Amino acid sequence: MSTYQQSLAGNNSALLQGWRAILRDSVTEVFSMMVGVEICVPQPPNPPVVREVTGLVGLAGELCGVLSVQCAKSCASKIASRMLCVPVAEAASHMNDAIGEICNMVAGSFKAKIDGMEDKCMLSVPTVVIGGDYQIFSLAVGERIELPFLFEGESVWIGLEVRN
Amino acid sequence: MSIRALIVDDSSVMRKIVERCLRQAGMNLSQVLEASNGTEALALVNEHTLDLILSDINMPVMDGLEFIRHLKKVESAKNVPIVMITTEGGEKSVLEALSLGANGYIRKPFTPDQVKDHVIPVLRNQS
Repeated sequence: MSTYQQSLAGNNSALLQGWRAILRDSVTEVFSMMVGVEICVPQPPNPPVVREVTGLVGLAGELCGVLSVQCAKSCASKIASRMLCVPVAEAASHMNDAIGEICNMVAGSFKAKIDGMEDKCMLSVPTVVIGGDYQIFSLAVGERIELPFLFEGESVWIGLEVRN
Repeated sequence: MSIRALIVDDSSVMRKIVERCLRQAGMNLSQVLEASNGTEALALVNEHTLDLILSDINMPVMDGLEFIRHLKKVESAKNVPIVMITTEGGEKSVLEALSLGANGYIRKPFTPDQVKDHVIPVLRNQS
C-alpha cells in the first residue's frame, strides 16, 4: 500500500482538503491556458450536475482512481469552440475530443502538483461517455472529491475518486 | 524558412491547437501533417520529407516513446527534430524521451509562448 493510500485509509481529511485545493488550481489553470477562459467557482448553492457529456481518465500506480469532467452538450460544444477558436456550431463535432483532453490535462496537472507523484502515477487515455443514464462502479472503497465550476453560465463538475 | 511539420496526438483538438501555436510563433508552415498515434505517424514519416515533429506520449495503438524508437531507425527521418507535448511531464518520462532522441519537451497545459520558446531553439540548433 502506498503512502497516499495509507493516508486515505486513515481517513486523512487534511490530505483530502489539500487535494481539493490542488484540483481546483489544476482546473482553473487548464481552462485559463487551453480554453482561454477564467472558469468560475460558483457561490452556494451549487449548480446542478448536468451529465450529458462525461470525460474520464484513469489513474494507476501510487494513486489509483478516476478523474471525471461532467457537463451539458451545449457547454462541451462551447468549450471546444473556445479551444479551437471557431464558432460553436462548427465546434460541436469536436466536443467529445475537447472534454477528453480537458480531463486528461486536469489529471496530469493534478498529479504534477503533488510532491513525488508525477513519476509514480500513470494516466490512461481519456474515455468520453455521451448521455447521463449510467453509473460508475469503482472496484474498491474510496474517497471522492467533487468540485463545481461555472463556464459561461453553465455548470462543469470535476470529480476525483481515489481508492484507499 | 518554410517548415513541414507533423503533429502527432490522439486529440484532433490538440493537434489544431498546436498548429495554431506554431503559426502564432511566426512559423511559415508550408505543410502540416497530422497523425493520431505513432503507427499513423510512421506511415507519414516514410512518405514525406519533414522539418519538425511534435508528438504526444500517451496515445493508443503506439505511444510517443515507441514512436521515437521506430523513428530513429528510419534513415530519412532519424535526424528530424522531435518535440514532445504531453501531460506526462515527470522527470522519468522526460529523461526517457530525451534519451531516446527527443529534442525538447513541453508539458500540457501550455501557452503559445511556451511552444514558441521550446520549438524555435530546436529548429535553430538543427539548422
